[in-house]
Amino acid sequence: MDKVRRSLLIGGASSLVAPILPAPISPLNAAPLRYNLKAQRIAYNSYVVIGKTEDYSPDNGGDIVNVAFIDTSDGVVLIDTGSSRRYGEALKQLIYATTGKDVIRVYNTHFHPDHCLGNQLFDKKKIAALPKTISGLKASGEDFSSNLYRILGDWMRGTEVIIPEHVINYSSEKFGKHRFEMLPFKGHTDADLAILDHETGVLYAGDICFLDRAATTPHADLESWHKSLKEIKKIPHKIIFPGHGPADTTSRSIEQTDTYLTWLEKNLTKSARSGKDMLEAAKMPIPEKFQSIDVIELEIERSVAHLYPGIEEKTLPFLGQGDS
Amino acid sequence: MSKTNTKHKVSKIAQLASKLSCAALLAIAISATPVTINSVSAADTAVSIPKDSLNSVMWDFMAKEHLLTDASSKKIVMNNSILVHAPKVAEDQLNLPIHVDARSIKNIQKIVVIADLNPIPKVLTYEPRQAEARISFRIKVGQATPVRAAVLDKDGVWHVGGTFVDASGGGCSQPAVAYGNDDWVKRLAEIRGRIWRTPGQKSAKLRFSVRHPMDTGLADGIPAFFIEKLELKGADGKLLGNLYINEPISENPTVTLFPILKEATTAVQITGRDNEGNLIDVAVPAPVQSSALQN
Ligand SMILES: [Zn+2]
Repeated sequence: MDKVRRSLLIGGASSLVAPILPAPISPLNAAPLRYNLKAQRIAYNSYVVIGKTEDYSPDNGGDIVNVAFIDTSDGVVLIDTGSSRRYGEALKQLIYATTGKDVIRVYNTHFHPDHCLGNQLFDKKKIAALPKTISGLKASGEDFSSNLYRILGDWMRGTEVIIPEHVINYSSEKFGKHRFEMLPFKGHTDADLAILDHETGVLYAGDICFLDRAATTPHADLESWHKSLKEIKKIPHKIIFPGHGPADTTSRSIEQTDTYLTWLEKNLTKSARSGKDMLEAAKMPIPEKFQSIDVIELEIERSVAHLYPGIEEKTLPFLGQGDS
Repeated sequence: MSKTNTKHKVSKIAQLASKLSCAALLAIAISATPVTINSVSAADTAVSIPKDSLNSVMWDFMAKEHLLTDASSKKIVMNNSILVHAPKVAEDQLNLPIHVDARSIKNIQKIVVIADLNPIPKVLTYEPRQAEARISFRIKVGQATPVRAAVLDKDGVWHVGGTFVDASGGGCSQPAVAYGNDDWVKRLAEIRGRIWRTPGQKSAKLRFSVRHPMDTGLADGIPAFFIEKLELKGADGKLLGNLYINEPISENPTVTLFPILKEATTAVQITGRDNEGNLIDVAVPAPVQSSALQN
């Protein structure tokens, strides 16, 4: 259905009926829009840029995602590129200011737009992704981008979808002293890349792990996701850097993502078994231990939309079949 | 299954396209608007249309086209005691949940649900008989739109309530729908459902789903293919309600109704057909009271 939004934006029909307005530009934003990105060092040669734990809004310009870069003697390795061309620009400047080096490798951990729409600023031949991330971005990138234009307005100006050209079909690669192990998971989407830097012990988990920010499920397969979390737990590491939320030195992000998703599915199943519709199911009470997780109410409502029809189909008893 | 299913099997591959065609058709719907307004019959000259609290430019047209066409219409009033619940933003535009509650109106003939800015605005008509005047269902929306419930009473008065739904989801909001499912013909018109009873409550809760593509017929070469009518009866043969659903209802229509069942042991018979003559006829068994709320 994202196609609908897109065609409304470009088709002209919309202006005749309900004008689809770009996101409002608040007086605060009247000055040129600027991301205020900051690099934090989390390990030897390793820097992270931590996004706000919020939903997309014209106020944050889509600065809601974590990216990371590693300063190797061969050049900089970048993990994810942010939500827009403008974000990519700010990121590139920050990387150069911090390291004085150029980027030699970019990874897109998965095909969601907050992780790949800053790709434009980098050489697409050097942007690496799993095959299904590439096909997913080919199929949905334009729709994602249209959505974000609508939500973020001018922040998105000039943003184009750039498809990674370097296919990850190997298990590791080395830049300088850093050997990066490719860890292909799935569950958040069809292809979720985690990367382990053997030099530092930092495990870049992408959106397999969230911390203190509710996990999102638009393309989730919960069973695979749990399996991935179980696997990731076994991988020796010093720090986990999740796709959203702060760096994690205690593996809390694995635990929290796992228990949250388990709780979510259990509650939706219970709701379906007691005959609730989607609107009723979205009103589930949030347990104490999850109450400090950012945007949890919003994400529950969204997850009901993503997951409930499938869960209902599993729980409503089969009664028979029509015929002609 | 009917022979015509083969063509749907082919067309099913393009089903996503069919669902996504709303925008294109919107243009047609708009260009047709003035023509249709001119052709509206005498009914609208006699009944005045109140101002729309949702400020929809399509409201007058909706009223003329979908409400005043009923011969018994005498009056239209806006009534905010008719509740239309929906999420503020449609996360999945193919599955927007709606709950309509019109229990404040007595002697109801029918409830008509309209989404003004959909290429096909009319969502459903529900005639509750031995049932409470409320219903849950899911719809497809092409863009941000008012969703309204118009309730016609026995005196010919339309009571109209509604809400506005924004159709912009998050950037990650593209629904993950499993298309290209090869078994869909085999599973066409599969019916699932169950009745729940809460002790002390007048009505039972009946939730059921019918596996059906509900194709809109708006895309080139893909014929409309949707369930037209469902009739609900108690075990005694008494009519509980009639439900006429239209193309904007989501794929695999999933509906909650609130029948008033005298006996705790009453099953509900659902019969109906789609526009190609596929028949639906199934009994939803009586609720097992003790376990209803436990599992
Ligand atoms: Zn993601």
